[in-house]
Amino acid sequence: MPQAPQPAPAAQPAKPKPPEPPPELQEGAIARMDAPALIRILTDGASPEFQKAKACQRLGELGAKEAVPALSALLANEHLSTYARYGLEPISDPSADDALRAALPKLTGIQLIGVINSIGKRRDAKASPALVKMMYGADADVARAAAAALGSIGDTSSMHELQSALGKTKGMTRAAVADAGLVCAERLIAAGKRDQALALYTFLSAADVPKPARLAAMNSIIREETAIGRPR
Amino acid sequence: MIVPSVVLGRQAGAVPPSDKIVFGGIGIGSRGAHVLSKLLAFKQAKFVAICDVRNERREEIKSTVDQKYGNRDCQMYDDQYALLARQDIDAVLIATGDRWHTPLAIIAAQHGKDVYCEKPCSMSMEESWALADAFRRYNRIYQAGCQRRNGANFQLCKDLLKSGALGKLQSLYANVGPSVNWPPLPSRDWLAAEELPPKQVLDWDRWLGPAPWRPYHSSYVRGGWRNFYDFHGGGILEWGSHTVDLCHWAAELDDTQPVEYEPVGSNVGPYKVLCKYATGVNLVMRDDGWDGSLKTGSCSFRIEGDNGWVETGDATRIECSDNIKPLLRPTESASLALVNHVADLLRSIKSRQLPQASAAAAANSHIACHAAFIAFQRGKKLTWDPSRREFTNDDIANRMRSRALREPWRV
Repeated sequence: MPQAPQPAPAAQPAKPKPPEPPPELQEGAIARMDAPALIRILTDGASPEFQKAKACQRLGELGAKEAVPALSALLANEHLSTYARYGLEPISDPSADDALRAALPKLTGIQLIGVINSIGKRRDAKASPALVKMMYGADADVARAAAAALGSIGDTSSMHELQSALGKTKGMTRAAVADAGLVCAERLIAAGKRDQALALYTFLSAADVPKPARLAAMNSIIREETAIGRPR
Repeated sequence: MIVPSVVLGRQAGAVPPSDKIVFGGIGIGSRGAHVLSKLLAFKQAKFVAICDVRNERREEIKSTVDQKYGNRDCQMYDDQYALLARQDIDAVLIATGDRWHTPLAIIAAQHGKDVYCEKPCSMSMEESWALADAFRRYNRIYQAGCQRRNGANFQLCKDLLKSGALGKLQSLYANVGPSVNWPPLPSRDWLAAEELPPKQVLDWDRWLGPAPWRPYHSSYVRGGWRNFYDFHGGGILEWGSHTVDLCHWAAELDDTQPVEYEPVGSNVGPYKVLCKYATGVNLVMRDDGWDGSLKTGSCSFRIEGDNGWVETGDATRIECSDNIKPLLRPTESASLALVNHVADLLRSIKSRQLPQASAAAAANSHIACHAAFIAFQRGKKLTWDPSRREFTNDDIANRMRSRALREPWRV
């Protein structure tokens, strides 16, 4: 049956061009620099903020471990700390973990949270003792970030710490601890520690756990217990 | 005690208040307002709150909603946590810039909310995985704004493939729009700093959100954020999130991604990314103009089997090989896809069954786009292992699978 003819919508016009970036804010040659040249930008006190930002991003793509000191020196910078982590997070060398961990006692507030987030992403279990302390600290935002990082690390030690914290924290921090527990349980399952994960889910199913996490834990128990093909 | 009949849903067509799905909105610009207009038409839905970092947008959305309902009840927020803390809100419509999509959707899930989120849904592969994980973890409904999955002309093409009429699937073609608008490689530059407006007019810190810091420029806020790498995934992600997603859906490939990505062309001219699934099926992401070479409309896609082909887009019209023409039937306009898509979401929220564009489905189609984007940036053919979630022939590409989020945000 032939289709009723329908008019095609008018072709969308080209979008108006945004303003041109000034030359000093164009990435240009930085995109093609090697690691030593990019590091020189970071260590030159006269380098503009823009160049340092771009150098950090490119160093992250290159994964250059020799850039770790220069990148970590920017972790406290109000505008560049994200870029520093942009550079550090993908570097597989353990020196990046060491640098992030070493930054913890030197930072506060939002820059500290950023470093904690990067540690969580890299799942650096050596940072766990420091994260546990921060989970009980006075800065609630830091405490929540620390809980999330512990959940992401997701080992047996993290599980015990999060279980303990669920009984010692309140409000939004407690909700973050519960959320972290859910992530931790998934990490445990992935590591073949199903019994520990189920125990954690059961713990998170308690009536006083924040509702979204409690329901998620209960749902996870059902999913795990009814999964087809799971070895028993 | 007298209970009004409307409370019991006994008036013709009325929905009892207790049966209504209560929505809030976060970051509703022009696209979000279009989706909102469809949502407001459903009696099963009630929109009660708007959160935006821009005062003018908060006021505008409130005005629209209040006018629709004939009251002054829509509450305004500049902090998403305040909106998400409301126990009466069941679901949120997220239509911010791309940088916010995944973090906000995950925060919403953590607060027990269901989500409708505009596309592109993620800024990186890592965000795609985190998104799918979170919605599975919290057992929340997520509908990506991939409304063409509920478009009748697109569905007919899918049906023709599934019925076997097209024969064995050979190739899928996803139009990724013309590079003159948003080329595959967005700019990594900054615009010159302008004076920051007062925080009550625009909260630049919250506008940037998870994106790395840069100086304020009004162009970004007016929609000019696209084509800047820190805010945007270029033309491949922008349009692939529309059409690669369609290909995945139509060919029932929602649980995987291609294993090869070969960029062809340049950033300033027509380009393609030639992809291949493990099954040998091809996926071609191609810059074929807004309406495609067959003028089937924007966001067109094409399915080729060994017994025929079909192609359609936003013009509704279906082009096909001669042997398929007898199988065509009139379909409703593609423009109705969005209404159907919102209805699909509402059904899904009630039934707790997955909607057409679930978080997992969106994650996989977006990962394909991210992989193609990375291949274009690397300027080389990349091979990808979906199960190990890594490129097998390029370390730098693997380091591009995630982006650091500005503190304090995380996924």
